[in-house]
Amino acid sequence: MRKSKALVALLTASAMVAGLMGTSTAVMAVEESTSDLNIMLETPVESLDPQQATDGTSFEVIADYTDGLMQMDADGQAVPAIAESYDVSEDGLTYTFHLREDANWSNGDPVTAQDFVFAWQRAVDPAVASEYAYMLSDIGQVVNAAEIIAGEKDKSELGITAVDDKTLEVKLNVPVSYFLSLMYFPTFYPVNEAFFEGCADTFGTSPDTTLSNGAFILDEYEPAATVVHLTKNEDYYGAENVSLPGLNYQVIQDSQQALMSYQTGALDLTLVNGEQVDQVADDPEFMTIGAGYLWYVSPNMSAVPELDNLNIRLAMTMAIDRDAITADVLKDGSIPTYTAVPMQFAAGPDGSDFSEDQEKFSDVCKYDAAAAADYWAKGLEELGISELTLDMVVDADDAPQKVAQVLKEQWETTLPGLTVNLTVEPKKQRVQDMQDGNFEVALTRWGPDYADPMTYLGMWITDNSNNYGLWSNEEYDSIIAECTTGDLCTDAEGRWARLYDAEKIVMDEAVIFPLYTQANAEMMYSGVTGVEFHPVALNRVYKNAVKAE
Amino acid sequence: MKKYTLKRILTSIFTLLVILLVLFILMQLMPGSPFNDEKLNNDQRAALYAKYGLDRPIIVQFFHYAKNMLKGDLGVSYNISKNTPIAQMIQTRLPISICIGGLAVTIGAIVGLLLGLLAALKHNTIWDSLATVISVIGVSVPSYVFALALSYSMGFRLQWFPMLYNARNALQSSVLPSISLSMFTMASIARFTRSEMLEVLGSDYMLLAESKGISGSALIFKHALRNALIPIITVLAPLIVDLMTGSLVIEKIFAIPGVGSLLVNAIQSNDYNVVISLSFIYSAMYIGIMLVVDILYGVIDPRIRLAKKGD
Repeated sequence: MRKSKALVALLTASAMVAGLMGTSTAVMAVEESTSDLNIMLETPVESLDPQQATDGTSFEVIADYTDGLMQMDADGQAVPAIAESYDVSEDGLTYTFHLREDANWSNGDPVTAQDFVFAWQRAVDPAVASEYAYMLSDIGQVVNAAEIIAGEKDKSELGITAVDDKTLEVKLNVPVSYFLSLMYFPTFYPVNEAFFEGCADTFGTSPDTTLSNGAFILDEYEPAATVVHLTKNEDYYGAENVSLPGLNYQVIQDSQQALMSYQTGALDLTLVNGEQVDQVADDPEFMTIGAGYLWYVSPNMSAVPELDNLNIRLAMTMAIDRDAITADVLKDGSIPTYTAVPMQFAAGPDGSDFSEDQEKFSDVCKYDAAAAADYWAKGLEELGISELTLDMVVDADDAPQKVAQVLKEQWETTLPGLTVNLTVEPKKQRVQDMQDGNFEVALTRWGPDYADPMTYLGMWITDNSNNYGLWSNEEYDSIIAECTTGDLCTDAEGRWARLYDAEKIVMDEAVIFPLYTQANAEMMYSGVTGVEFHPVALNRVYKNAVKAE
Repeated sequence: MKKYTLKRILTSIFTLLVILLVLFILMQLMPGSPFNDEKLNNDQRAALYAKYGLDRPIIVQFFHYAKNMLKGDLGVSYNISKNTPIAQMIQTRLPISICIGGLAVTIGAIVGLLLGLLAALKHNTIWDSLATVISVIGVSVPSYVFALALSYSMGFRLQWFPMLYNARNALQSSVLPSISLSMFTMASIARFTRSEMLEVLGSDYMLLAESKGISGSALIFKHALRNALIPIITVLAPLIVDLMTGSLVIEKIFAIPGVGSLLVNAIQSNDYNVVISLSFIYSAMYIGIMLVVDILYGVIDPRIRLAKKGD
């Protein structure tokens, strides 16, 4: 009896050890080099299917091993990638891309125009239900995309044709000034149809079910993995310019562990949270990178009659001391923002930042306690009330909660009679409440999808699904229409100027109270150069990165 | 015994079905939905609901899911890893949690037993006090404190063990998390062993055994420890399931790709199928271990075995 028990115990123990060894031998095949770039990720990859992925982490990894027609240069401008060159018709409605002869998939197949046709048709296929389908319809204005998404037309009618293996023709409904810059967005990346069909339902769930045509090849990945590894693609057409032997991603959700790992040299690039900034702010390897996200307060004008009063809204936005929020609470390099379009992501026809001038709406949103109190008193008088209680929904994450606390304090101090109650909710619930119109005031954010102010201004037109406050203004709607599908499509300068008119309406009417443009505080090993950071589409690009030994 | 076991197994299956139904209902009560993304408009959300069959009545969904589950299909993930079969996700993660949890239980049980024995045999000496102090600390200090302390001292300062889990070096990188996790088990087992042993050692049959001339290790291990084991196993069983299903905090600190963090991420992003599958597997493991424990009682204590025979 005892012998058999001892045997069982021994077997269990050895099975456990073998299990651990087993997991280790399974991945031994991956060659890890000491000069790999070791990168910390905050969240795991959600999807490696370019037409299904929606989050920044997934986009970054997909772009490590996949090239689109165009790629981003260090300044975020679209430059040729798989497309060697392109022609745009005079009316701006037809784009013809000429694909490189030497672009190949990692299984040896050439990258062809059909790969793009297949991928784009997937993106709009209602059966695929891609969350970013609107990048082809509303944003990209590809012919028939909207009708296919709505189920009115077959996906084969999409305005994209493979003229031959290496020539791709795309037809648009209206000229889209930023169309080329969409081509580096992963939703537009090619997929090899034969390979996709060969994977059945498992496409993009393992290194064996992904195909590379980019600078690196994925060789270690499991769904929701904490470790992702890529090795340089020696057959990449631009291989000679790729210096890193590989990329080694590690998901670390505990920020203190991440920083300690960085300090032991196990990581070359890591995110630092607001509380840790004080410890590392003087380190030369510390830096802040603009993330493009605009954080703002959304008042629900349709549900709360008091918020429909312009003076009340102006009072609230002018009572916010944005500098105090970024300097004393966030400390991560986030920039106070006084425009409806955040800074650092959209460059105009002359190359300047759309929102460089942060003073232009000073009269309607700059921190001014006295003016805010005046507007407040006026608003209360118009409404015939002496006090107001508002409920603000906020995400249950660390930073938003802190910001909300400060907002509450600033409002209640400056605006007599105002009481703000905070409702902290998981993000999913907060979004649901906003979509249902079930909120009074909300602290929310929006990240740019493409490098044009329209990614923000497009939200405030009547009936847009993100116009949670249900604000509606005819003049505004007509300006936006003019700039998206109207006469200004072909007139870059005129369109740019008109977008400022639209932004002015949003600010004058205090449709939203912009707070700050988010920045990420990061540490990067001083021997690493050439990592390209972008606030749009691909947050980090490593093709040109170099790591000194 | 056979009849008893069969009855227990049938009850277990029925319990699991009830658990599945309750899980389904709970999912409906959860705030938000898997597709509350700001970038989705109403039409797209409706399309996604239809695609995954979430627009059907809950009872239809339940039977559909239960039927697929019998075929071994746990469904796909909606958010965490889009459209990935959950079986595939769990397959790589559960073994890691089980290994680390198993190591923790093994370390905890062995060290705990030894500590408890030491304390009982050297009752009222400095050894006893020392063992008591260790077990009080182990029970009252949460595992993440040990985790952070170990990670800082042995990982960051001394660099003896990796700070983060690494599949290429699984055994070594499991050491710190396993030790952190084992502290509670070790302390509870030590306390139980001590008190049970003290009680057994003072009992009449021990006196009889001793007077019959049995002495030394045979007396302690064959007569005393064996009788003290029953309550210890009762305590140990739920701890095993607890540890094997992964600890969220420990997984977060050591970046372990286990099932604990998967479940929490799934709950936060309303990834229904992942939550249901994992909770279901937990329940199954729990019920399974309890079943094994019941049968083990019979092996250890002949009185229980005999009583069952008379059933």
